[in-house]
Amino acid sequence: MSQALEYFQFVLAPQMLNGLTIGVAVVLVAIGLSVIFGLLDVVNMAHGEFYALGAYISTALYALGVDFWFALLLAPLIMLPIGYAIERGLIQRVYQHEQRHILTLLLTVGLSIVLQDAFDLVFGPNTLRPDNPIPGVTEFFGIYIPNYRLFLLGAGAVVVTGTWLVIFRTRLGAMIRAAAFDRDMSASLGVPVLRVYAGTFAFGVALAGLAGVLLAPIYSVFPTMGHDFVLLAFTAVIVGGIGSFQGAVIAGLLLTQIQAISSLFISPHWTEPLVFGIMVAVLVVRPQGLFAWVGRG
Amino acid sequence: MTATDPILDIAELGVWFGGLAAVSDLSLSVARGSVTSVIGPNGAGKSTLFNLISGAVAANSGRVVFEGNDVTGWPAQRINRAGLARSFQITNLFPDLEVAENLRLAAQVLEPAGRGLFPPRRSRRALAKMRSLLERFGLEAKAEELAGYLSHGEQRRLEVAMTLASEPRLLLLDEPTQGMSHGDTRDTAALIRELSSELTVLLIEHDIDLVMDLSDWIVVMHQGRKLAEGPPEVVHADPAVRRAYFGEADSHA
Amino acid sequence: MSDSVESRPGAAAGRKRPGGPFRHVGARGVAGIFLVAALVFAAVGAAAGNVFYLRLGTEALILSGLAMSVDLLLGYTGLLSLGQAMFFGLGAYASAVLLRDYHTGFWGALVLTELLVVPVAVVAGAIAIRARGVYFILITFGLAQVIGKVIYNTRWLGGSDGMVGIPVVHAPFGIFRLDLGNPVSFFLLVLAIVAVLYVALGYLMNTPFGRTLGAIRSNESRVRYLGFDPWRYKLAAYVLAGMLAAFSGALYPMLRGFVSPELMSFSMSADAVIMVILGGVGTLIGPIYGSVILIGLKTLISGWTEHHQIAIGIIFMLAVIFMPRGLIGLVARRASRVVRPEADQ
Repeated sequence: MSQALEYFQFVLAPQMLNGLTIGVAVVLVAIGLSVIFGLLDVVNMAHGEFYALGAYISTALYALGVDFWFALLLAPLIMLPIGYAIERGLIQRVYQHEQRHILTLLLTVGLSIVLQDAFDLVFGPNTLRPDNPIPGVTEFFGIYIPNYRLFLLGAGAVVVTGTWLVIFRTRLGAMIRAAAFDRDMSASLGVPVLRVYAGTFAFGVALAGLAGVLLAPIYSVFPTMGHDFVLLAFTAVIVGGIGSFQGAVIAGLLLTQIQAISSLFISPHWTEPLVFGIMVAVLVVRPQGLFAWVGRG
Repeated sequence: MTATDPILDIAELGVWFGGLAAVSDLSLSVARGSVTSVIGPNGAGKSTLFNLISGAVAANSGRVVFEGNDVTGWPAQRINRAGLARSFQITNLFPDLEVAENLRLAAQVLEPAGRGLFPPRRSRRALAKMRSLLERFGLEAKAEELAGYLSHGEQRRLEVAMTLASEPRLLLLDEPTQGMSHGDTRDTAALIRELSSELTVLLIEHDIDLVMDLSDWIVVMHQGRKLAEGPPEVVHADPAVRRAYFGEADSHA
Repeated sequence: MSDSVESRPGAAAGRKRPGGPFRHVGARGVAGIFLVAALVFAAVGAAAGNVFYLRLGTEALILSGLAMSVDLLLGYTGLLSLGQAMFFGLGAYASAVLLRDYHTGFWGALVLTELLVVPVAVVAGAIAIRARGVYFILITFGLAQVIGKVIYNTRWLGGSDGMVGIPVVHAPFGIFRLDLGNPVSFFLLVLAIVAVLYVALGYLMNTPFGRTLGAIRSNESRVRYLGFDPWRYKLAAYVLAGMLAAFSGALYPMLRGFVSPELMSFSMSADAVIMVILGGVGTLIGPIYGSVILIGLKTLISGWTEHHQIAIGIIFMLAVIFMPRGLIGLVARRASRVVRPEADQ
């Protein structure tokens, strides 16, 4: 019995915690990706780069002497107009085209190429590592949890809940959901659909950026960080169901836990194929994901 | 009704989507060589019935027997190759391909499988069928046009032409005259009459005059079920049917 | 409907496009121009003794095979594969191992690579094609990522460093043999290979089989009701494309003497798509031009700055917005697909 407990304390729980840490980030990124996918019908292949952008903006702010708490607030805020401009100025240009699905996807591929190289240009190819703003460890029933991670989990929960409240309990959220469900009807009811789209995109990428800021002190910042992350985010979106909020949350947490725990038994190199295998299995067995989105964009 | 030699025999067919029965407990026999019309208000399940017969949708219950073969659950392409072809209510062509190419593709199934890797002009039977359909449907002048640029009436004609390309023995026409001008409608009616001597036609239509004029047999559907069936005069006189439908059915969809 | 960038029946200019200066030429003529230009390039390169540009040109031709495989799927079948580099890389690695460790020589490497790739393509295709639309794209993306990672972490394949020391080979053709170490010879060989592939694929896409792929691209659901199973056709197209990409990949180590996991990276897959878009989707010659254009652009821009990807990305986005039909689509007229029976008319 005590052996099992020790195993839990020293092996399993830390891994689960690792999983949760990444899980929070995946959830934040996946929510944005899922909503953009479900509402705008845009597959944002550059979403990982927005995650990285948030991290990079925070490092720039730190270099300017801004402290962590301000950066946490500021970086996503800076990303809002950037995201809005990109959606409005770039992505919307191909909305009228018959092949808009492919074209928007290709556009975001191009965007990801540009962003990734831009990080390299502006910040250099080396890995940056912001300082841990909340050092120290807390003990919790024999498990040692770094304080920063505790904060991260809490902050993540707050943001996710806040986002949920906005989308499902406010008028703004109602507009967004209406525009997702029936664009033309919403437009005729006075909903400024194009602006809602741009705003939603901005919000989605800001969430990704926030995840980037949160994770930077733990996992460092480097130009290809978004690229490595994006498959996991897409998997969470697909498994959870495109456009589904709860889906993104549950699938995001679930997949990262699976990834973390399985790495105890199989080589870490095989956890990504495992996760991908889950995505394929879900697509085969239940293509709409765990929770299908009610309306389409 | 029991036809002596039904080309299509449907028994207790049913399907439901999301808790709602789109078609339930539907049994029907279609006599070979006849023109049978399926009528009913929107939402009665007529197109769903066609989807079930043609393999677009899998039934939850019941059986579809075509020319003695149980085709329930067969994939659409297999049913098509067995001799059953359908047209669509919403025009379903290849809009960015030329009219002649649309027809050639539809006729290609007449060729043996190996022909697929030979130059296209070697598919003589398919090409002959393409030419004859272009002529029969008056589309020769538009042969090189992209199907997406045709007028609505021309597209509906092409739609029907494509259905005939595979030389089916049973033709399912889903509102072929939808949106057509009066002249086009008359031509289509004449065509259907002509066709009925070569094959069996199962027709969904909203134009009641057309239906009464053309049909040997009429089936009335309501909320997924068969409400009544019989020769035109009988159905027309049926009080239940009159009450429910002829008022509505006179206005075009 | 379809996911292809080619079909635009609503566009007024689509039908009888006036085209640009080459309006009477058509895609075949454009191909002929390319051939002539390539031969001139070879002659000039040979005379000047310039190895770098000849090898670069050869690389562009090798990559055009990868680009054609993307076009086969995108322009002709309506499937966007964001992971085509996976096959290119697998072909490259297989060829490298065969050449270096098993000394199979030119033909051995090519033939065995193809044989090895077929089952992979069938399995990958069976998985990917089950998924429609966007999901297909994501599966191809994911597959390439995963396989790429596996190769990256495989020690005996060189890990992150890849494999070096691939020997220079000769290509025996019965009576004579080409020394592939000679840049002119190799360039001409690959040019010939690309020409043969272009003609063969062009023929195939014109057959009823190829035209059914086009029908699938145009309106997949309708194809079923014509008596054809779209799944089988898409799988055939996917396997064919995989084989084409792998074949091209197999030539790579013969040119450069090494292979690395970069060859199956998303960057590579994206480049292939960029080549197709820049050159012209659904034309087969477009990707060939696109490959030359992209390699040319990269070489040119790297002369000024290390960050050529920013420029490429911007150019790509501009192309997607302003000329989604690519260069060939802009310049050559669209040929009628109507079959004229041989005897009459």
